Amino acid sequence: METIIPAWLCIPFAGLLLCIAVMPLVKGEWWEKNQPLVVAMWSLLFVIPYAVKFGVGNSFETVLECVLNDYLTFIVLLFGLFCVSGNITLEGDFAGSPRLNVAVLAFGTLLSSCIGTTGASMLLVRPVLKMNAWRRNKRQLMVFFIFMVSNMGGCLTPIGDPPLLMGFMRGVPFFWSMHLFPVLLFNMVLLLIAFYFMDRRAYRRDIARGLKPDISKPGTDFEISGLHNVIFLVMIVAAVILSGTLPNMPMFKDAAGNVRGIHVFREVTLTYPAIIEIVIILLAAYLSYKTTEESIRTKNHFTWGPIKEVAVLFIGIFITMQPALMILKSFGPKLGIKNAFEMFWATGMLSSFLDNTPTYLVFLTTAGTLGFTKGMATTVGTISIKMLTAISCGAVFMGANTYIGNAPNFMVKSISDENGVRMPSFFGYIVWSLLFLVPVFIMDTLVFFL
Amino acid sequence: MMEDNQKKCIELAERIYDLDVKVYESIGSSLGRTFTDDRQTCVENLTKLMTLRPQGHLLRSELALISNMARTIKDEEIKAEVMAEYASILKEVAKLPEGFGKVDILNKKRAKLNTVRMEKKFKKGDHLVICIGRTQGSAGNDIGFALADALHINYYDVEILQEVLKRLEVENDPKVNGDKDQEGLIEDKYEKHFGEARGIRQKLHEFNRYHGLKKEDAIFFNQSDLICKMAKEEDFIVMGRCADVILTNNRIPHISIFITAPFEQRVKRYMEVNDLTLKQAVRELKKMDKKHNDYFHFYTGMKWGAAENYDICFNSASYGIEESVEIIERMLNKIPGVSWNKKKEKKNQ
Repeated sequence: METIIPAWLCIPFAGLLLCIAVMPLVKGEWWEKNQPLVVAMWSLLFVIPYAVKFGVGNSFETVLECVLNDYLTFIVLLFGLFCVSGNITLEGDFAGSPRLNVAVLAFGTLLSSCIGTTGASMLLVRPVLKMNAWRRNKRQLMVFFIFMVSNMGGCLTPIGDPPLLMGFMRGVPFFWSMHLFPVLLFNMVLLLIAFYFMDRRAYRRDIARGLKPDISKPGTDFEISGLHNVIFLVMIVAAVILSGTLPNMPMFKDAAGNVRGIHVFREVTLTYPAIIEIVIILLAAYLSYKTTEESIRTKNHFTWGPIKEVAVLFIGIFITMQPALMILKSFGPKLGIKNAFEMFWATGMLSSFLDNTPTYLVFLTTAGTLGFTKGMATTVGTISIKMLTAISCGAVFMGANTYIGNAPNFMVKSISDENGVRMPSFFGYIVWSLLFLVPVFIMDTLVFFL
Repeated sequence: MMEDNQKKCIELAERIYDLDVKVYESIGSSLGRTFTDDRQTCVENLTKLMTLRPQGHLLRSELALISNMARTIKDEEIKAEVMAEYASILKEVAKLPEGFGKVDILNKKRAKLNTVRMEKKFKKGDHLVICIGRTQGSAGNDIGFALADALHINYYDVEILQEVLKRLEVENDPKVNGDKDQEGLIEDKYEKHFGEARGIRQKLHEFNRYHGLKKEDAIFFNQSDLICKMAKEEDFIVMGRCADVILTNNRIPHISIFITAPFEQRVKRYMEVNDLTLKQAVRELKKMDKKHNDYFHFYTGMKWGAAENYDICFNSASYGIEESVEIIERMLNKIPGVSWNKKKEKKNQ
């Protein structure tokens, strides 16, 4: 029998989001000190009523399931990439200017599909900050960095963004996502043009203030320190690919076709592929830390602050998000969505606030039940190419709409905050999205999904 | 009372700036800091912020950025020291009365440009730097040159660009050097595609040479450095190159003059000097005015030729070259203690 989840159980999720949005503005210092307490409070406000309504066992199982199977791999991947990229530093006297920034954003966007949005974000955020250290007005750069490198760029391969990895695990070919390149290119062109003019204005404001980069020496010195960490970066990317491929191998499946693992409680199992992924990533992070000189981390202003903040906030988000995801799973297929543009916006809007991986799965499954006879044959049914494109783009692109839409968004914000960039608040960032991303998504709808 | 408040704000602003420096140095990072301007600019801006809106969002946001960074200091002792200073500053800021000093002059930098205060611009030992902006055909160059001659100081125009080009090692670049005469070289700095590289290899070479910047920007930044350096070493007159704004931004005392003339007069002179037809001269002058205006606006954000941006504005057609020089000289004589005055006195003796 299907369990009906009451909508009021989503209140703790909304409350936590509201705290993330408002508390830094009204009680900044208090919020910094007491984040774990606030997160624990909202989590308990979900767990206890859920336990009262559905039983302690069910409540415990739900929390354990999301912490072990979703949050753990999520935070370990983020931690690994954060450690390894923090050990690579780019020493050079490139001076951040609009055209150089456009080039770096374009490069970063394409790199995201090769090493993941989190990997590319963590690898490039510090060099970008360093190049632009001489400037004062650089908020737009970090916002567009989140739009493009931390989100959109991940759409070309399953390594790019976790939802596509889920698609790959359900029968979508590895290189199918390359079909999204025209959409990505279209968006890149629109956003980079907007960014160029905005950055140029800010650059001129900086020059008019009398700011200037130190370019007294002819020629540019360029050196990458800690380059050996690329090996550990490759290790992490390999671990992510393995987590997507191993569950389909016979040796990791039991007789019933379930993925083998360590049984923890009721239906909760920590699967062997997940354990292998975690071990490889942690090993890469450890080796990277041990084999890199402390001075590189100092130059990079490497601190545990950003990862700690993300770890604390996201455990709360993952736990309190559960009722919203359950409601989505129950009602998603009944929403009557049949057109590609509806799929694009529904997947996208929900991915802006919820985890985009389960959102993608819900709509992929829904699309699989629509009875298409032509298109991509997946384990959830045949899905038309246009529909699959819409779901993939919605899930990957619209994670950029809010700070919590995708994991690296908050990391980039945190690192920027620590290095003298005046980043917009939670709502301020949404205004940026409304001004720049939503018009681009409307254009996408008109050109690709109608 | 108002003086006391102002003093208090300056003192607090200095403490905030010093705190930012200490935090950045303690971290050892190279990724950027809260205040990117020089000390004096930052202190002035912070003072203004405190005078206008002591409890406002902007001041809080600046302080929050410093504290974000301060919390990441690894050395516990330094961190405690820095956080104690931060807390003390916060307390002082909270004590500032809301909105005091509203009747003060808000833009002191601008007020100092007022000619009745000209004597206050220069301190003993400061060098006399005169920045002249001019429209083409207004005889600005001739006035500048004659003035330099009368004051026995150096006159710079194309030399600055040449020195910068030397610094950037482009004098060996045949595309820039070539057969171009000096006048051509001066005007080239306004060209959008000045010395633009052809071919990927050359583009990469230029990319490396100019630190990823556009060539025009690299030249402007180097010119800025050079003008500031020269202003600390000698008395001189500099023609154009946004020198007045560069020196203002770097707090180097100078006198800015803008010389122009009615368009018809300029056309007439331009036709005579360059042996052009009326149509050619009109077209050339309009083109040059637009280029000057775009260049000045791009690098300063200000309007080229707007009277409020200069100490003295001249219609050269009303005075002629000699009289213009005399008028400027008379004004400059009122400035006491400037090194060039003594030099001139010695020469007269």
